[in-house]
Amino acid sequence: MRSRTLIRLAIALASIALVSAACGTDDDEAADTSAAPATTAAPATTAPPADEPEPEPEGMSAEDITAAFILVGPVGDAGWNWAHDQGRLFAEQETGATTLVVESIPENAEAFKEVAIDFIENEGADIIFGTSFGYMDPMEELAAEYPDVVFEHASGFKMNDSNFGNFFGRIYQPRYLSGMAAGAMTQSGQIGYVAAFPIPEVIRGINAFTLGARETNPGAEVHVNWTFTWFDPAVEGDTASALLEAGADVIAMHQDSTAAGVAAQDAGARWVAYNSDMRNFAPEAFITAPVWHWGPRYARTIEAVAAGTYAPGAYWGGMDDGIVQLAELSADVPGEVADRISEAAELIRTGAWDVFTGPINDQDGAERVAAGETMEDGPMLGMDWFVEGVVGDASP
Amino acid sequence: MTEPTHAPLHTVARGRARWHRVLVRPVLQRRARVAPAAQAIAFVIGIVLALIAGALLLWGSGNDPVTVYQRMAESSLGGFDALSRTLLRATPLAIAGLAVAVAGSMGLWNIGAEGQMMAGATAAAGFAMVAGDLPGPVLIVLMLVAGAVGGVVLVLGPALARAYLGVSEIITTLMLVEVAIRIVEWLKVGPWKDPESFGFAQISPLPDKASLPGLFGQVHIGVLFAVALLLAFWLAVSRTAWGYELRMAGSSPATARYAGISLQRKVLTALLLSGGLAGLAGAIELSGTATRLEPGLSSGYGFAGIIVAALALMRPSGVAVVAVVFGAVLRGGQSIQTLGVTSSIATILQAMILIGALVAAVLLNYRVRWVRPVGSGADGDAAENPASAGASGV
Repeated sequence: MRSRTLIRLAIALASIALVSAACGTDDDEAADTSAAPATTAAPATTAPPADEPEPEPEGMSAEDITAAFILVGPVGDAGWNWAHDQGRLFAEQETGATTLVVESIPENAEAFKEVAIDFIENEGADIIFGTSFGYMDPMEELAAEYPDVVFEHASGFKMNDSNFGNFFGRIYQPRYLSGMAAGAMTQSGQIGYVAAFPIPEVIRGINAFTLGARETNPGAEVHVNWTFTWFDPAVEGDTASALLEAGADVIAMHQDSTAAGVAAQDAGARWVAYNSDMRNFAPEAFITAPVWHWGPRYARTIEAVAAGTYAPGAYWGGMDDGIVQLAELSADVPGEVADRISEAAELIRTGAWDVFTGPINDQDGAERVAAGETMEDGPMLGMDWFVEGVVGDASP
Repeated sequence: MTEPTHAPLHTVARGRARWHRVLVRPVLQRRARVAPAAQAIAFVIGIVLALIAGALLLWGSGNDPVTVYQRMAESSLGGFDALSRTLLRATPLAIAGLAVAVAGSMGLWNIGAEGQMMAGATAAAGFAMVAGDLPGPVLIVLMLVAGAVGGVVLVLGPALARAYLGVSEIITTLMLVEVAIRIVEWLKVGPWKDPESFGFAQISPLPDKASLPGLFGQVHIGVLFAVALLLAFWLAVSRTAWGYELRMAGSSPATARYAGISLQRKVLTALLLSGGLAGLAGAIELSGTATRLEPGLSSGYGFAGIIVAALALMRPSGVAVVAVVFGAVLRGGQSIQTLGVTSSIATILQAMILIGALVAAVLLNYRVRWVRPVGSGADGDAAENPASAGASGV
């Protein structure tokens, strides 16, 4: 009795299998004739710009290069990962190289190595771009293991002298400018900052933003709430709402989602976005945003590898190089403020002045940078204190 | 002094009682015995059907199913190196799956194995920090012990609350996952921050000697621990009086109590063992694959352990098979992303394969019975069968 049921089940399953297999065959045939091969990584259709030909005997054309990008989150975040993917597409157009991308690879050594090795061994990747801080250790290991592949790491600090370098941008420069706009737009003088993690990169951004806000609005205060997230729309939206309820009428942020902006718009407040020009997500709230423009850097790296001139370094480019920029100001920013922002941008771009130029006091009123002095990169990279005007704890 | 209600799923069955009397309804009833060969065949058929459906998905999303499946197979099972990568993933899956299955074999759902893995990894990393001077092998063994202790510590609260207060372990174990991950986040920016990383937030690296030795290809000797643990638990659950009592406490608490078995003690033992195993899995993952502790270390293996245990019908022997298949699916699903299959399509494909296997296992191991209204004997019988409730809970 039991075995009969079993046989009946087996027959049922087998017949389903056969029927589906028949359908499956049709699909496979259809796939062979009609479906495009699986590549999001199709080479750019437009011809690459006619760069000067590389004479070096070992030099390849940039079109022969395969550059693989490993992203920590979804490309659709409209933030960090989206900005990197835009950079990838730009570089592909610009150089004619083949580019490949995988998204949502966690900051986990094993996961990263697996993907990178797949890229190298199966797809013949010549360059691996890793765009999250936590990829640093596995990139270092792989660089030693694959000396013929170039590894470029965004936001890290490790490198070697042959095939492993790092790159980042002085996003604090446009953050300062966005702070100037925010200072001009706040009515209450209370600005809320939805902060990601208490690390120097984020603290530096908060400080630059605050210095800018107090440039246009000397009494402005920037209230910092930590979310301990990079991409968690629910938490980031809630944190923005809490700051708004506490009296802020402008919200700034450091995460990859647009949730803080949506919360600001719902409350009739204003918003300084980050990473990319996010104005379409909360058009009434949007003021401006410090944005990343990774493309030119990626294109240059690909060309250098093709030409055999690549040398690893620790690149920290600023507005002079275009890797960081300020998004277009919303139309209601007063013209006089817009002019002041342009002037400051010009000073930064020409190198005549930089954001962390004294006198700068910390939260307790103690002088950190003397008048006329400009902070060196070292202390800037390790910044763990807040400037005057920030309300919050830099080491929560 | 009433005993806590045992399986919360009974409550569900009781809640349905009103419309039981009115409607003809389907009930899953566990078959008494299913041949292992049939088990294997159903598993394969389920996966094949899922692959066929997955081909449609791939084709519809602009990918060539043949190329994709070829890559999946090659990267997970085609050769020593590929196999080593599959086993690398199967190791934490097997131990986490076993952790869930140990609790599951007496009807408890430890769905917080993910958090216990993090707790275990944290304890192991902490131990390596304070006892870094010990010779490598001693250090590693003690790190693994610390890992198991870490897992036990995290599950202790839920276990006591379940045993003595009847608080659902499903909720408490799950909620502690977030706590464990947040603790690592805090250690990362706070007390365990690496002073040599220029202010960047990361935990100090482990000493090299704290790494588990490799076995072959990518896989480390942790896979041998997994095999040993599976064997030990298979013997303990199916061949000892302790295992018999555990299973009886799960399937018929009233009988067990009548036979003088302390349910509270059994609940405690099962949950603490479960947490300890998950903690051990976390320590092995840390020592085997990572250079330092990080919040993303357990990368979902603890949650995946629930699927492994459910697919394995809570049996250690099943856990071994399912962990390897699951490992291959994960490895293959990862590999096709470098072909250009987006991560969402790859994830859907992985889920389809697992659901295919699960449905096949349920269809084979349970019989669908249509229960008529009006309190016929069969009605109450089926409704009180915890196995049937267990299946619908999956």
